Amino acid sequence: MNKYFSTKTSIFVFASPALLLFTVFCVYPLLPEIWMSLQKHDGFRSMGFVGLDNYRDVIASPSFWTAHKNTYLIVGISLLLGIPLSMMLALFMEVQTPKLRRFFKSAAMFPAILSVTVVSQIWLAFYEPNWGLFNSILKSIGLESWTHSWLTEKKTVMPSIGLVFLWQYIGLNAMLFYTGIKTIPKSYYEAALIDGANFVQVCLRITIPLLQNVIKYVLILSTLGSMAFYSHVRVMTAGGPGDTSRTVVYQMYYTAFDTSEFGKGTAIAVIFIVECLLISFLIQRFIARDKLEF
Amino acid sequence: MVKASKVMGTVLLTGTLLVSAACGNGNESASNQPSDSTTPAASMESSAGNVESASNEEKIKMRVITITTDENRNNIMEKFIKPNIASAFPNLEVEFEPGGGGEDMANKLKTLNSSGDMPDVFWNDAGYFTPLKSTGSILDLTSHITTDGFLGKYSVPDALKHVDGKIYSLSSGADTYFTPVIFYHKDMFEQAGVKVPTTFDELIQISKTLKSKDMVPAVTPGKDGWGPKLFMLQQMIQIGDPQAMSDLVSNKTDFNNPSVKAGVARIEQLAKEGVFPDGIANLDYGPAMEMFTSKRAAMLWMFTWELPNLAKDESVDFFPFPSASDKYDPTQNVQFWGSPLNGYAVSAKTKHPEEAVKLAEYLAMADALYFESTGAPISLNTGNEASERSPLMQKFVDWYNPIPNKIASLALNSLDARTSAEMSSQGANLLTGEYSTDKFIAAMGKIWSENTWFDN
Repeated sequence: MNKYFSTKTSIFVFASPALLLFTVFCVYPLLPEIWMSLQKHDGFRSMGFVGLDNYRDVIASPSFWTAHKNTYLIVGISLLLGIPLSMMLALFMEVQTPKLRRFFKSAAMFPAILSVTVVSQIWLAFYEPNWGLFNSILKSIGLESWTHSWLTEKKTVMPSIGLVFLWQYIGLNAMLFYTGIKTIPKSYYEAALIDGANFVQVCLRITIPLLQNVIKYVLILSTLGSMAFYSHVRVMTAGGPGDTSRTVVYQMYYTAFDTSEFGKGTAIAVIFIVECLLISFLIQRFIARDKLEF
Repeated sequence: MVKASKVMGTVLLTGTLLVSAACGNGNESASNQPSDSTTPAASMESSAGNVESASNEEKIKMRVITITTDENRNNIMEKFIKPNIASAFPNLEVEFEPGGGGEDMANKLKTLNSSGDMPDVFWNDAGYFTPLKSTGSILDLTSHITTDGFLGKYSVPDALKHVDGKIYSLSSGADTYFTPVIFYHKDMFEQAGVKVPTTFDELIQISKTLKSKDMVPAVTPGKDGWGPKLFMLQQMIQIGDPQAMSDLVSNKTDFNNPSVKAGVARIEQLAKEGVFPDGIANLDYGPAMEMFTSKRAAMLWMFTWELPNLAKDESVDFFPFPSASDKYDPTQNVQFWGSPLNGYAVSAKTKHPEEAVKLAEYLAMADALYFESTGAPISLNTGNEASERSPLMQKFVDWYNPIPNKIASLALNSLDARTSAEMSSQGANLLTGEYSTDKFIAAMGKIWSENTWFDN
């Protein structure tokens, strides 16, 4: 039986439906998109081949770089704050009693299952500068000078939106880490306990190293997820004020649909696809190269 | 093994057939047949007589996308369209799809157009008309509405014509009577001890007084630059130099004009002086309206399409934008909203153009009946006696009608898609108070020089 399923023909037959779907829905749409990026195009008709002009114009636009700065800020928040916090939450859940663990698991998953629109609307109310939760709390404890118009000031708008993203997905990542922790054999912990290791040592020497595969998965998921950051921005600020809170995906949407410059919009898309592929490759290349065996 | 393969094959074949049968549209053949319906939808009442004739026919499916963001539109839909449409069009099965408003509506229609999935009838707007026209997606209604006599119901039929002489949209004609004004709560003004301002400086002064009394002086939708693009920039230029504004609308001047620059500087001043609430640049239409109606803001800068709703509150009054120079007199100059392109349009790719045109006529008539019921002036004759106007509406009509110099709206009559979008962004920037007039002028000057609107 194993011999039958391990032939090249069998592998091809079983992989072909997925391969076909991937080619039709992921690879094929890229070709006309690349072609469109080389034309002056309003989404309905081509107004001529312009070579790399769209790429030149896009790169020369300050909004393109603002969008990049914002996107990588979100990636940074997601990786540098989100992943460590998720890991800590997972470790915290692991040491709770079963009843509390059930509560924390549900609480952790709750934001992730909510629609982005619902979450964004809730946080819009929190951030509202005149009667919103945050400014009201700050005023009530005498910190009026700390109040801000969170979503319209240049300095606060992106960190504010980033916090919402962090809040929504931190629990999901924590659950992934927690699931990974459960696969680590108990005997490792028992041996560490006998050797007198404390909680921090166990985490640093056993749990985190043995979670390599999960960390790699969460890293890719978080990186690509935050690079595709769009919906929160759309609902909370519409990329504004001006271009202040646009991300790369939002800038692509804005250029293509709002300004009807589909040629330039697809040029942004092509550049961004290359960036995503590069980052994905770097993660694959440098993180968790060796297969872990317990 | 062979037997198992046969069983598997039979199961797969049966499954495929079942799926094919389930996916088939039994109504398709019927809906593709040309209809012989002659439903008169010119008025709500006259269209009710066809119930019996079509009861046994297969219904034609029609998709309609219209604006769903303001109270007027929702009232028209809930009170005038939905309760009557089934009896007016027994041969149609009409599906209404919410279109949102502003850029959302524009993007939705542009996307549907590019994917070849245009609704049969939709709300057309100058902001997205050009791509629809260039792809042949919008029907010229002239011959249809001339033949069936609907054109004759308009008091000024020529007002429906686009610059190419064709008619693409049907409206109630109420748009021409929409203009931005400053609504205010009389009791809040009294409480703060301020009077209606007649100059821009007085406006700033009373705003400071209102703010010192813990009131939000003025509110307007600022998210995505809604207010600045649609009227604020125009008003702030116009109150200093109406001629410069007229020239900008007709592309006889640009953003380097000192009067235009002065207008932009007024917006910057308004934002910096705290005339608007914190976060105005991210304030949506609904919350802005709510701030005014709940009396948290003393003034609302808004178009008069909200006048019928606001007139229900007796403490609400309005005044025109106050003057910033001797060149402007609010009884001599005013911005008007209308464009012949705004209204119900029909997709040129609809399978049932006759029915779709009738439906568009019906929807325009529903608009007219609604606005007529509020006392608002309209140019589409409904056949009804004009209803009594509220005192506020009468005040508006008495002020607006005699004004000799009515300036068309920049937002509807001068901007291509890119310029329109960029003006939204730049306008929102100005409202933050962190963006200088010079930056705005530099950015808009460049965008304006690349504006293709006047190339057509």
